[in-house]
Amino acid sequence: ITKEDNLKSTFDFMSYILRKADSVNKALDSAVPLREPLKIHEAMRYSLLAGGKRVRPVLCIAACELVGGQESLAMPAACAVEMIHTMSLIHDDLPCMDNDDLRRGKPTNHKVFGEDVAVLAGDALLSFAFEHLASATSPEVSPTRVVRAVGELAKAIGTEGLVAGQVVDISSEGLDLNDVGLEHLEFIHLHKTAALLEASAVLGGIVGGGSDEEIERLRKFARCIGLLFQVVDDILDVTKSSQELGKTAGKDLIADKLTYPKIMGLEKSREFAEKLNREARDQLLGFDSDKVAPLLALANYIANRQN
Amino acid sequence: SSSSSSNFDLRKYWTKLIREINQKLEEAIPVKYPAGIYEAMRYSVLAEGAKRAPPVMCVAACELFGGDRLAAFPTACALEMVHAASLIHDDLPCMDDDPVRRGKPSNHTVFGSDMAILAGDALFPLGFQHIVSLTPPHLVPRSTLLRLISEIARTVGSTGMAAGQYVDLEGGPFPISFAHEKKFGAMAECSAVCGGLVGGASDDELHSLRLYGRAVGMLYQVVDDLRDDKNKKKKSYAGTERAMEMAQELSVKAKKELQVFDKYGDTSVAPFYSFVDYAAHRHFLLHL
Repeated sequence: ITKEDNLKSTFDFMSYILRKADSVNKALDSAVPLREPLKIHEAMRYSLLAGGKRVRPVLCIAACELVGGQESLAMPAACAVEMIHTMSLIHDDLPCMDNDDLRRGKPTNHKVFGEDVAVLAGDALLSFAFEHLASATSPEVSPTRVVRAVGELAKAIGTEGLVAGQVVDISSEGLDLNDVGLEHLEFIHLHKTAALLEASAVLGGIVGGGSDEEIERLRKFARCIGLLFQVVDDILDVTKSSQELGKTAGKDLIADKLTYPKIMGLEKSREFAEKLNREARDQLLGFDSDKVAPLLALANYIANRQN
Repeated sequence: SSSSSSNFDLRKYWTKLIREINQKLEEAIPVKYPAGIYEAMRYSVLAEGAKRAPPVMCVAACELFGGDRLAAFPTACALEMVHAASLIHDDLPCMDDDPVRRGKPSNHTVFGSDMAILAGDALFPLGFQHIVSLTPPHLVPRSTLLRLISEIARTVGSTGMAAGQYVDLEGGPFPISFAHEKKFGAMAECSAVCGGLVGGASDDELHSLRLYGRAVGMLYQVVDDLRDDKNKKKKSYAGTERAMEMAQELSVKAKKELQVFDKYGDTSVAPFYSFVDYAAHRHFLLHL
């Protein structure tokens, strides 16, 4: 694959991701209708439909299509992973956690709806993700596969996933860089970021009918791009402005958080990102070349994104 | 029925069951890295004096339909986990601001609000994971597991307990009974229904279990409100007289729903009648 091919696939990818994100947005909009009590559902919808990049659901759908499944088989799983992602952002932004006022260029959930509603809206999105995955997935997918997907999603959230990453992240603030190594930083990111991306790809592979080997390759692919996502995020935090990012820039420095640039320097961080991108792409060798295009492009998109 | 003679057996039934459930819960949350979060989760889930009403109800309902107790344990534990998660979040300073739970400092008082939020966030999925990974496949079909997941998720979600908590906190155009039903009736209803699902109950039977569980859960709370009326800091749902009437109505309603199960025999249904009596009078179970 030449560099030109890369650029070409990146170009195709923009229309692919826009088309997929559009279907995901429609599915999310109808999955969480405005119901009583209105304020909780408004709060859920406020953050869920705030126009995120939909990287996780698109990854889920692309993984499903890679193993030969239709988009419709993956849509409930894709919505579920986005609900979990949104829920973790709402809770992470709370004053007793990261205390963020701005998210995706808009006031954070608790700023608009109050802390109590933000906690409840997060909890509601968390449980609804499971309800949606368990009850809205097409009957074409066997219950055994849906049950397996539920287990994978659950694992990605709790003490083996998002929560573990957040706990270690919170307890790392202000730590001396000499006391913690790369391993520590990698633990945070593998749990806080990679775990849910991994679940997204794995869920797509499961509901799409993938073999165990295919599912494991998707898992490794997603772990690599998950780590890649975070390395790039850390780089952007020190190289871009708040306006370009749509969130508070340099906040990792202010909060005294561990980042790749801080531990290994900017140049080495960029090299590491390159290595992860290559490792991710290696997992896709042997799959049908037409079908891998979206995932290859997704890896490049994550590697080269500017905000 | 002769309540004093059957109480003895029932007490043994509950004691044994609660011991088994405590054992399973203890195993369900081992301490790993990062230890702090596991300790926060264990603090609330394994709290002494927890009555284990949701898991006991679940196991009893499974056995009512001839189900194996082993089939119900993972779901029973999951119910206790999501119940604990809801209580941890309800106690937070930005919610009910309760520094004490069951006579001990509440989770955030000990571990901080950030850990309390995360402990709750981890307990919800742990419950679901527990069900799908530990329910014996030869005893419960996979399709039933999906119904369990949906049932529990809906119960704790935005039209269930989260809705009840919201209305409890912020009011709104809802009748008083709304918060009561959602916040307190929902868990017992879900526990009974989940036990029925695991045990293979028919849809009609599940419906009766649903109405029964809801009535018992609300009854428990109405009586709770009456009992600590004296040092009450929160608004009463109803005056004392009305509350006593409600308790009577709920008690009758719950027992009426049980009539369809009388055919399964006294021993099988007895736990369910005792649940109503316990919710109404709190007699024998408190001293286990």
